[in-house]
Amino acid sequence: MTILGTAFGMVFYLLQAVSGESGYAQNGEFEDAELDDYSFSCYSQLEVDGTQHLLTCAFDDPDVNSTNLEFEICGALLNVKCLTFDKLQEMYFIKTKKFLLIGDSEIHVKLGGKNITSKKLNIVEIVKPEAPFDIRVIYRKGANDFLVTFNTSHSQKKYVKELMHEVAYRQEKNENDWMHVNLSSTKLTLLQRKLQPDAMYEIKVRSIPNANYFQGFWSEWSPTFHFRTPEITGRMDPVLLTISILSFFSVALMVILACALWKKRIKPIVWPSLPDHKKTLEQLCKKPKKNLNVSFNPESFLDCQIHKVDGIQARDEAESFLQDTSSQLDESEKRRLGGGMQGPTWPSEHAAITPKAFREDLPFGCLAGSISMCEALVQSSSRSPDCREGGKNGPHVYQGLLLGPGTTNSTVPTPSPFQSGILTLSPTAQGQPVLTSLGSSQEEAYVTMSSFYQNQ
Amino acid sequence: MFHVSFRYIFGIPPLILVLLPVTSSDCDIEGKDGREYQHVLMISINDLDTMIKNRTNCPNNEPKVFKKHACDDNKEGVFLYRAARKLKQFVKVNNSEDFNLHLSRVSQGTLQLLNCTPKEDNKSVKEQRKQKSLCSLGILLQKIKTCWNKILRGSKEH
Repeated sequence: MTILGTAFGMVFYLLQAVSGESGYAQNGEFEDAELDDYSFSCYSQLEVDGTQHLLTCAFDDPDVNSTNLEFEICGALLNVKCLTFDKLQEMYFIKTKKFLLIGDSEIHVKLGGKNITSKKLNIVEIVKPEAPFDIRVIYRKGANDFLVTFNTSHSQKKYVKELMHEVAYRQEKNENDWMHVNLSSTKLTLLQRKLQPDAMYEIKVRSIPNANYFQGFWSEWSPTFHFRTPEITGRMDPVLLTISILSFFSVALMVILACALWKKRIKPIVWPSLPDHKKTLEQLCKKPKKNLNVSFNPESFLDCQIHKVDGIQARDEAESFLQDTSSQLDESEKRRLGGGMQGPTWPSEHAAITPKAFREDLPFGCLAGSISMCEALVQSSSRSPDCREGGKNGPHVYQGLLLGPGTTNSTVPTPSPFQSGILTLSPTAQGQPVLTSLGSSQEEAYVTMSSFYQNQ
Repeated sequence: MFHVSFRYIFGIPPLILVLLPVTSSDCDIEGKDGREYQHVLMISINDLDTMIKNRTNCPNNEPKVFKKHACDDNKEGVFLYRAARKLKQFVKVNNSEDFNLHLSRVSQGTLQLLNCTPKEDNKSVKEQRKQKSLCSLGILLQKIKTCWNKILRGSKEH
């Protein structure tokens, strides 16, 4: 009985002990202690110190008791099989040059030499770049934009050279309203019109491997840089404003003047009209004397001697005469101009036209009623009294002959006023009349008329 | 009839056995896309080349290095395997740590990317001769570089 009781007591005692433990287990803590979450994560930093690389690991659960825990890496190492991590507070790290950088490695978590957990990873796939630095923002007034520049230590490295950067900026008063821009270079342009004027902004940047061969995580953010956008001024530059107003008014004034003076002043200069020989003649002869009889009406010149001439013969002789006189006159004019002022002389020898021959050779063009210039005769004796006195001043035109309708024997062809040459007097600048012989073309007559017109 | 059967029995099979190694490749190359070579191996080869040029003035006539082996078609893997193993002979105590590490990286990295049969392993061990000249090392490295470029060109064409 005693033995039985003792046995039962021991059994109960054991049960209690077991139940005590199971009670502990029921709380769940014992199970958790055995199945601690030893999950960990690592990242690598290549060439962080010269040619040395850094591998850092830490438990995901910060409450893990890592007192006697060790980390070890094996595989993908140069000349060694495994390397042991160093511990700093809750972090495990290893700084070495002996990473092969090709192939997978295994990281073991050991407790007292016993492997608790392991993880396979590739060091080139867990690269965390160093944070960029020296971020600056420069306002470019001419371009109306902001140039953002920053620096990264990876530009000098051999392995992880190609990075992707992320620039984040926001207005200081707007919390959590970050704008993000991705770029592969270290320069960025922000347009002024896309930012608020007269506002304070802050900007920062971070990097990640370009995923060509090296992959990994974002770096830490760079130190934040603050900048203020300029306010938009409504006023223009005063000098520019004055110049623009003045130029506007001057243009307007020019337009008004052009419209007002177009017909009277501008058009005659830009597009001069052909002078009307009738009017020009009238004007020429108007000035000297009021009582000068200027008219194309043959009846006004009844007192003038009119000599009828054979048309064809007169034309030929006139042409040859005019050719001779023109060459002679050129020489005389040159001599006269070269020799200075001379007395008013009539180059009568040159201009001496045989009235008879000239009369006879007058072309068909000089008909009564024609309003054109007829051939002029330089003949002092045959000058009409009306025209004589006007000869000293303006250019003189001598109407030599006016043919009546019945003067010619043959049929009269269509009058061509400027068939033959015209002998005219054109005064020099000093008022000395100079004989000018002209060709027998229509254009030359017009030229003469226009020169008369200009002289007046 | 009897001499004919002798010909077939003792002539052709040895011929087949001899010719087989010529046509087949004993090493498979894993890094044919060139990423490991361009981002890791080439950097170490270039650094070693710079270090050798700074330390020695090599003559114009090429020393006899690895003359028996060439990066022939379908034999690139074998060549790289033998060359990588030969690189280990140049690892010396009196070299700088960086020098030795680069040598080890090229050698070990190349071997990591090759998958060679054990037969090839034994053969190359027997044929190794010690070459301690830095100029020889430079030439060997250039040959390795050339063979890798050939492999990458071939993979791009395909």
